[in-house]
Amino acid sequence: MEYKEEQVQELEQQFLLVCDQLRQQLSCDFTGVALQKIQGVDITWPFVSGNRNQKYKYITVRYGKGIAGRVIASGSPMEIVQFPDNIIGKSTEYPIMLAEKMITAYAMPLLWQGSPKGALLIGYRSKHRLEENDYVNLKELGKKVEKLLPLYFAEN
Amino acid sequence: MELKDVKGSTYIIESQEEEIKRIALELHEGISQNLYSLYTGLEFLRTGVEQDHLKDYTKEMSDLVSRTLQEVRLLSVELYPSTLKTLGLYAALKSYIKLFTSTFGIIINISTVGNEMELTEQKSMAIFRSCQEALINIAKYADTSEATVHFTWEEKRLKIDISDHGVGFDLQEIIRLNKCKGIAAMKQRMSIAGGELCLFSGEGEGTTVSFILTIQK
Repeated sequence: MEYKEEQVQELEQQFLLVCDQLRQQLSCDFTGVALQKIQGVDITWPFVSGNRNQKYKYITVRYGKGIAGRVIASGSPMEIVQFPDNIIGKSTEYPIMLAEKMITAYAMPLLWQGSPKGALLIGYRSKHRLEENDYVNLKELGKKVEKLLPLYFAEN
Repeated sequence: MELKDVKGSTYIIESQEEEIKRIALELHEGISQNLYSLYTGLEFLRTGVEQDHLKDYTKEMSDLVSRTLQEVRLLSVELYPSTLKTLGLYAALKSYIKLFTSTFGIIINISTVGNEMELTEQKSMAIFRSCQEALINIAKYADTSEATVHFTWEEKRLKIDISDHGVGFDLQEIIRLNKCKGIAAMKQRMSIAGGELCLFSGEGEGTTVSFILTIQK
């Protein structure tokens, strides 16, 4: 029992480490990993870095809604240049953007067993232009997160 | 001219509500039922299929139908909270608040004093929609993690206070910038229901929105 708790904590540390690394490398304000529940379709934000408050702990996004829901449903990355201008749907469909007061964000899908089961998000609290190198860095660290997913889904 | 404006907007709001209710009921009683029949049919087919690849494919389809069914049900409840009629305003708002917290991560403490009285559907809906608007404004602008909703039921009056300790705002400035459409809509809804809205806010001082409704027995 104790051993399992230790394993869970260690896994959490590994996820958070990647989030921190990403935040440093891309000089962003917020990074988060959104994951779909193994049973059902709801999506939560279990691992974040640079958060302003604890709202992310209570947020549950529906499949296909919000930035994480859309990325998981479509299996494609999504970029928001200047929230809430030119977004698809209403601003209230992007709770993590509202909660963390983000203006620019980019999210990419995280694959597990060949299907999108999560999203890795980076966000800025002021308008920011992402460079080609940023996408490359994000992709590389996204692979690191994907390697942790089998352990995460085995635990949950 | 003023009376004409009020009558016009009353008609627009009422017909909008009617249309929303119609769509919500159609989703719940028509489309949802059909989807459920499809789901049970696919599950039945799955038990009779022997080839593994077809079994997997049927499972995928049945999962998709189940997901769609859940989406349609949620959409229907979002559009028109049927609990408003069956369980009353307090229960309907409590249920909405649960959804609100899991959507925006903001904790809402809801409380009530006095005995709940029955309201007409039109009044319940007007106050429910106004509360929804006030809560959405908290999620969008207040920058706070907590808020409170307090019901006070008196003999002939209902008062609902929605308060937060967020960033607050300068009402005059909001009016000057013409960014008060949500507030105007709440005021209009309350006015149609025969009630009123009071708003207190200041920069850095949080916001309190009060809805007051006279109840005629």
